[in-house]
Amino acid sequence: MTDNQNPLSPHLQIYRWHISSLLSITHRISGVANLFSLILMFFWLLFLSFGESSYESFLFIINSFIGKFILIGFTWSMSFHLLSGIRHLIWDFGYGFEIRTANISGIIVIIASLVLTVIFWLLARGLI
Amino acid sequence: MKQARKWISHRISAVIVAPLFVWLFFSLISLSTKNYLEAIYFIENLLFRILAIALFFIGFFHAKISLNEIFEDYINNKKIKDVANILALILSIIIPVIILILLIKI
Repeated sequence: MTDNQNPLSPHLQIYRWHISSLLSITHRISGVANLFSLILMFFWLLFLSFGESSYESFLFIINSFIGKFILIGFTWSMSFHLLSGIRHLIWDFGYGFEIRTANISGIIVIIASLVLTVIFWLLARGLI
Repeated sequence: MKQARKWISHRISAVIVAPLFVWLFFSLISLSTKNYLEAIYFIENLLFRILAIALFFIGFFHAKISLNEIFEDYINNKKIKDVANILALILSIIIPVIILILLIKI
């Protein structure tokens, strides 16, 4: 077999994830999740306009275990996309491109999104 | 030039949508423990309606630009990409218009 000098695509099994690539794809995925939460808000207002019994059914679904799980997931995706978006805006102004700074800001986004999710949920439910 | 305008519109819409999105999502979670009448009382507020309509129009505009970017990056077939872009455009018009009608009607 002749030695093929064509460049290879990165093999998935040996590809080493970097915080920047991980956050980049997660930013896109969380953006799509936010689109679904906007559609959920659309259904919230739609069921509200249909009347009391329809709205009660909607509340029953979103207050179920799965409903809460989805809402908490959407809260995290909103928090993550918001913070990661701020990081992107700072890049747009030409700051934070150094590898060390980008790695630190990436870690801050991940941790802060989790903290923000907890604070947001506790505030919205009137627990703090 | 067109792409630059798209890029700027995407950033500006993100800055406008972010606080509105957080506010409406917060309202949804806090109202999910309240009953129908309390929810109706909340959304009857004129400011709520104006901000909610703004969120849906600007939010779906922002989403449409983002989806165009994703389709450009991940879909190779031009026909499928065009259909996906048209569907995103239709979604970004229909849902905000329904919200506008609903919030005027309620």
